[in-house]
Amino acid sequence: MSGEAGDLRARQPKAIHSALTVLEEVARCGAGVTARQVSDNLGLPRATAYRLLNLLVQDEYLVRMPDLRGFALGRKVAELAKLVAPSRPPEAVRLIVTDLRERIRGGVHLVRYDRDGLAVIDPDPDFPPTPAAAGSRPLHESAMGRLLLAEQRSPAVTEVQELGFARHFDAVSPGSGCLAVPIRDRDGTLVAALCLAAPRARIEQPGEHLVLLQQAALTLAPLLA
Amino acid sequence: MGATQKSALERAIENPQPVAGIESRSPVDGLDRRSVGFIDVLSQSVSAVAPSAAATTMPLLVATVAGGATVWALGAAMLLALLVATTVNQFTRRIAATGSLYTFVAHGLGTTASFVTGTALLVGYGFVAMFALGGAGYYLAILASRLWPALTGSLLLPVLVILGMAAACLVLLARGIRVSTRATLLVECVSVVIILALVVALLVVQGPALDWSVLDMSGVRPADFAVGAALALTAFVGFESSATLGVEARRPYATIPRAVTWTVIGSGGLYLLAALSQLVGFASVGGSITASVSPVNDLAAAYGIDALGLLLDVSIAASFLACAIASITALVRVLFSMGREGLLPSAFGRSHRRHRTPFVAIVVTVPVLTTGLIGTILLTGSVWRAMEIFIVGAAGGYIAAYILACVATPVFLWRIGELTPWPLVRAGVAAGLLSAVLVVYLAVESSSARFAGVWVFLAVMLVGTVFAVVRRIRRPWLRDTVGVYDVPVSTDVLGAGLAEDRAAP
Repeated sequence: MSGEAGDLRARQPKAIHSALTVLEEVARCGAGVTARQVSDNLGLPRATAYRLLNLLVQDEYLVRMPDLRGFALGRKVAELAKLVAPSRPPEAVRLIVTDLRERIRGGVHLVRYDRDGLAVIDPDPDFPPTPAAAGSRPLHESAMGRLLLAEQRSPAVTEVQELGFARHFDAVSPGSGCLAVPIRDRDGTLVAALCLAAPRARIEQPGEHLVLLQQAALTLAPLLA
Repeated sequence: MGATQKSALERAIENPQPVAGIESRSPVDGLDRRSVGFIDVLSQSVSAVAPSAAATTMPLLVATVAGGATVWALGAAMLLALLVATTVNQFTRRIAATGSLYTFVAHGLGTTASFVTGTALLVGYGFVAMFALGGAGYYLAILASRLWPALTGSLLLPVLVILGMAAACLVLLARGIRVSTRATLLVECVSVVIILALVVALLVVQGPALDWSVLDMSGVRPADFAVGAALALTAFVGFESSATLGVEARRPYATIPRAVTWTVIGSGGLYLLAALSQLVGFASVGGSITASVSPVNDLAAAYGIDALGLLLDVSIAASFLACAIASITALVRVLFSMGREGLLPSAFGRSHRRHRTPFVAIVVTVPVLTTGLIGTILLTGSVWRAMEIFIVGAAGGYIAAYILACVATPVFLWRIGELTPWPLVRAGVAAGLLSAVLVVYLAVESSSARFAGVWVFLAVMLVGTVFAVVRRIRRPWLRDTVGVYDVPVSTDVLGAGLAEDRAAP
């Protein structure tokens, strides 16, 4: 519908600024903050604050709490944040991954896992992952996704238990494959993974590549956890 | 914000804080939550108003009382309807419910007022549904007797048509909200296009020399203008009915207010155009609209486009059918709310497992309405007489519900701490004008041939309210349950899942 973006005009930067300020204020105060508190805290006129809050509720960046007075951040805020490129990992991490890339033929990507899913935080510059591979596909159609599913005890993924890593074939193109070696913190929680994208044959028989990846995973664990 | 110092928003996203008090299921769970888009929501409101049927009949009704002020009275009614729409939207922007005004009033004025509103709303939706089913049968019967003159005058034919259409409504409504809104949208679009084509054809045949004297207000008494505007307002009622889709609509806080406002603007525009074209048409053929029984048909005949009359009957019947479906859609969702709350037997709050519709309410409502309609037709001996009774009752029900909603708006806003001057002024003006309209309307109708409608309306309101109040005394806990609405569930709220995880063992 045209109403979605059609209402937005470049002449209203102040309104957009105010809307973001309101969003920020709800985040600062925490769930349950009322419209009046937001208006008082920001020094915004009541009518303006109420209208902005209701607009943000309409677009589901905010939700009205069950008591109808309070507001909380909507799940859409996190989705918005996902679109923004994830922050670069520290240099110590990047050095290890770069060193690994020089010794392995194929694309090596570093992936981080959190509550809202996975994000490729250090993609291989020579073999950039396709947008589809980088998380917008169903989880069971990539090695990095299958690792997460195994972590969530999905019955669809069995190889991680047996092999200690996840793999998947023919996802991007026939004859290709990828595998993902988990990086775990001291408690055993999955925090990240090193992924290798290579021809199918090399993924089936990873040999010393697997050893290199697993060694690097151990080195990276304390830096990423 | 500096690179080292993160904003509150960033911190909240990276590390969501647990939000307590969010359940994983909404209390109105069971319907097809967040499944229909803006077009479906709009078609619900538009169909409940039935603009094409009203555009052909309303100018005549208003002209008989308001004379030269017909177009102005329609315009005034449109402004009042807009005022009510923006006031009702104070609720639709904040509460997503299936009970529409009944639920809204509960949050402003409490349980008893909510029961009165609920009764008025059920009268509005129920009577309009019967009126529209009767109307569809009436016009299809006219159509049939045009083709087969032997059928003229029989009551059996419209009754059979009504039974057939009621069965169709039952199936459509039970099959799912998308099926029924899409069906009404299609039907309503066809009938609006036919009406617009007729209006344009009339204006084109008319040529450039329009007779603007039809807008002359001189010689119109203010009282006649007021009565005309009150009658004209009844052409708009039903615009709020998309509020019953609060659970099923996607982005309900955006789509429902938009649908409510645009329904009033769109149908108001159509009425003004239709009234103007009909008045101008009659002025130029030298006749009078008030002497005509079916003005658009007569006009079409006068301009030699008689075949259009046939098309017109089809379009009105279609519009009535869409109106019946939309009104029953709204009606069963109000009943669904009442069933969930315990005001009605809990079976009314049950939904179909696969189609996710308020199945029990549909299965009970459609036969009851059909029986009521056919009974009234047989009692009065004419479909038209029965329709007149229903439309008067329905208009009364709607307007009464609107008044209570307008009174409840500022109280509700004050309770949640969001009251500002403008909504207060708008609600106050709307409530005052609507009360005047209701009194004028009931007074006018009680001295007309349709007086039975006024008494039926008052009687049903009384019975419904007494039932609800008795129920409330028997079940004192109702005061805590009435006003059920859709609340955000844990998948909607950032961090709500965390609280759940922690609560779990």
